[in-house]
Amino acid sequence: MRRRAAVASVIASAGVLIAGFQIGSAVTAARTPSTTGTGTAPGGSASNSGTSGGTSSGSTGTTGSSGSSGPAKDGTFTGATEQTPFGPMQVAAVISGGKITDVKVLQKTNQGGRSVQISNQADPMLRSEVLQAQSANVSMIGGATYTSEGYLMSLQAALDQAGFTG
Amino acid sequence: MTIQNVSRPVLPQSSGNRPSPRARFRRRSAISDLLVVIAWVSGPVAASLYLASGGLADVKNVGSFLTALGIVTGLIGTDFILLMLVLAARVPMIDRAVGHDRAIGLHRQLGKPALYLILGHAVLLLAGYGASSGINPIAEIGPMLTLPDMITAVVGTALLIAVVVTSLVAVRRRFPYEFWHVIHLLSYAAVIFALPHQLSIGGTLAEGTVQRVYWIGLYVLAIGAIVIFRFAVPLFKSWAHDIRVQQVEWIAPDVASIHLTGRDLRALGAAGGEFLIWRFWTAGTWWHSHPISLSAVPTDHRARITVRVLGRGTRRLATVKPGTRVSFAGPYGIFTDAARTSPKLAIVAAGIGITPARALLEGSRLARGEATVLVRSSTDDETFLWSEMRKLAEARGAELFAMVGPRARNSWMSQQDAARGVTLRSVFPDLDRSDLYVCGPQRWAEAVVADARAAGLPEHQIHLESFEL
Repeated sequence: MRRRAAVASVIASAGVLIAGFQIGSAVTAARTPSTTGTGTAPGGSASNSGTSGGTSSGSTGTTGSSGSSGPAKDGTFTGATEQTPFGPMQVAAVISGGKITDVKVLQKTNQGGRSVQISNQADPMLRSEVLQAQSANVSMIGGATYTSEGYLMSLQAALDQAGFTG
Repeated sequence: MTIQNVSRPVLPQSSGNRPSPRARFRRRSAISDLLVVIAWVSGPVAASLYLASGGLADVKNVGSFLTALGIVTGLIGTDFILLMLVLAARVPMIDRAVGHDRAIGLHRQLGKPALYLILGHAVLLLAGYGASSGINPIAEIGPMLTLPDMITAVVGTALLIAVVVTSLVAVRRRFPYEFWHVIHLLSYAAVIFALPHQLSIGGTLAEGTVQRVYWIGLYVLAIGAIVIFRFAVPLFKSWAHDIRVQQVEWIAPDVASIHLTGRDLRALGAAGGEFLIWRFWTAGTWWHSHPISLSAVPTDHRARITVRVLGRGTRRLATVKPGTRVSFAGPYGIFTDAARTSPKLAIVAAGIGITPARALLEGSRLARGEATVLVRSSTDDETFLWSEMRKLAEARGAELFAMVGPRARNSWMSQQDAARGVTLRSVFPDLDRSDLYVCGPQRWAEAVVADARAAGLPEHQIHLESFEL
C-alpha cells in the first residue's frame, strides 16, 4: 500500500472511530431515564389503571398539590405499555403500606429471540433493584438497555398513578 | 546475445491529444488510493456505527464487555467478507484503477482475517452470554442454538471455514481447480446463510436503526456487484457478440491459437494485452472456464487467443470443433497501454507470455523508438509468434532483442548472456524513464521483476502479468 493511502486510512479510521464514540456518548446520555418528576398525582386522583397504550405518557397527571408527597394508595397499578425495538414492555407495581412491595411483569420483550433471554435475566435484577431503591430511578442492566428502559418507564407510569413519590 | 537489430521505418504515428502517461498515472493512482482508503476505513466504520448507537453504554461487566467485543468482531468480519465479494466481482472501476490481480491479491489476504474475526465473534459471544447467565461458554452453546436463525448462521460459518481452508495454498494444490472452484462458490451461500441472524438477534441491527440501513446497503452493494459484473454483464456481452470458434491452429508442439469469429469484436479488446475468461460450449469443456489473453488486437469480426496446453482442460480446448459457441467474461487486466506512467516502453516476454506482450505492442500508440522489446525462450520450439512480433516491432518502430538458450542459475537470462554480463540496463538503456512490462511463467517473471527492483526501478513503473504453471 502506498504511503499516502496508508496515512489517509489511518487518519480517516481514527476520525470515524472518534466520531462514533462521541455520538455514542451523546446517545447514551440522552437515553438514560430522567429523574422521576412527572406528574406527582396526589391521593385519589389516579383514574382507572390499565394499559394506556403505546406511549410513555401513562400517568393521568391531574395536577395536584405539586411536591407535597401525599401517601400513595395501596394496590396494584398497571404501567403504560412501552414499545421497544424488541416488543412491548409492561409492568405493574404492587404498593402496600406506602412501599413498593413487588413489580410484576405483564408483557416482556419477545421479539428477536435473544430478547426473551435478556428479559428473563434482566427482569428479576431490575425488580430487586427497584424494591431496594423504592424508585424507578435505578441504573439499567448492561446488555439489556431497551428492556431496562421499557421496564423502568412503564414502572414510573404505574408509580405516578399510585401517587407514589418514594 | 542473439540480437536482431530491426530497421526502423519512419511511421506516421501521431500520439493524438490524449493526456501524458504521467498525468494518467496520477489520476489512476488517486482513484486507487481512494479505493484502498475506502476499503480499510470500512472496518472502523462498522465499529464506529456500533459505538455511535451507544454500544459502549451496555458494557457494565466482563460478560457485557465480551459480548460487545464479540459484536464488533462480527461486524468487522462481515465487513471484510463483503469487501472480498466486491474485490472478486471484477468491478471495472476497481479493475482499471488497481488491476484485477491486485484486487484478487487483497481478496486473498482478507480471507484468513475475516474467518478469524467470524470465529472470534462466535467464541466471544458464547463467553459473553455465558458470563451474563453465569454458565460456562460450552454450556452456553445449547441455549445459543435455540435462538432464531442460529442454525443457518452455524451452517454459514462451516461453509466459510470450508471455503477458506480449501483456498490455503498448501491445500489448494492437492485438489483440481474445479473442486476448489465449486467449494468457493459456496461462499455466496455462506454469506446468505449468515444474514438472517444478524437482522433478528440482538439489538445491533434492530429495525429502525442507522446500522440496519447501513448494513443492508452494504449487502445490496456487494451482492449487486457480483450479480451485475460476474453474471449479468458477461451473459449479455456473450449474447451480443455471439462468438464461435473458427479454427484451431497449432503453432508449437504444445501451443494452439484459437481463431474466433463474432459480432463487433473490436469492442472486446480495445486495449491490447487484456485477457478474457473463456468458456467453450462443448460437452467436455463447458464446465471449465479459462483465462486466456488475446494474442492479437481483434478486428470487427475476428479475434485470436493463444493457449498453452498444460493439462487435460487446455488439451480439450485445443480440440474444439469449428462452430463451437464461446461465452466469455472480460476483458480484464491492466497489462495495457492504459497503465503507462513513463515516456518509454520496455517489454520482456517469455513462453506463452508473448501473447499479451504482442497484443500490447500492437495496441499501443507509439512514437518511433519509444518501445524496446526483449523476447526470451529456452529452446527454438518456444519461439512461436516471434515472427509476428518481429513484423510488429518493425511497423511500430520498436527495437527487438531475442534471447534463446537454457536459463542461467539465479538469473532470468540465458546462460550465455548472463555469462557475458548482459543486464536489464544494457538491454534497456532508458530503463529509468521506462515502463517495464514483464510477462511469462511466474517464477521467471518474478526474477525479472526482482532484477528491475534491484536496478532501482520504482514500483509503479513495473507491470507484471504472470502465468501460473
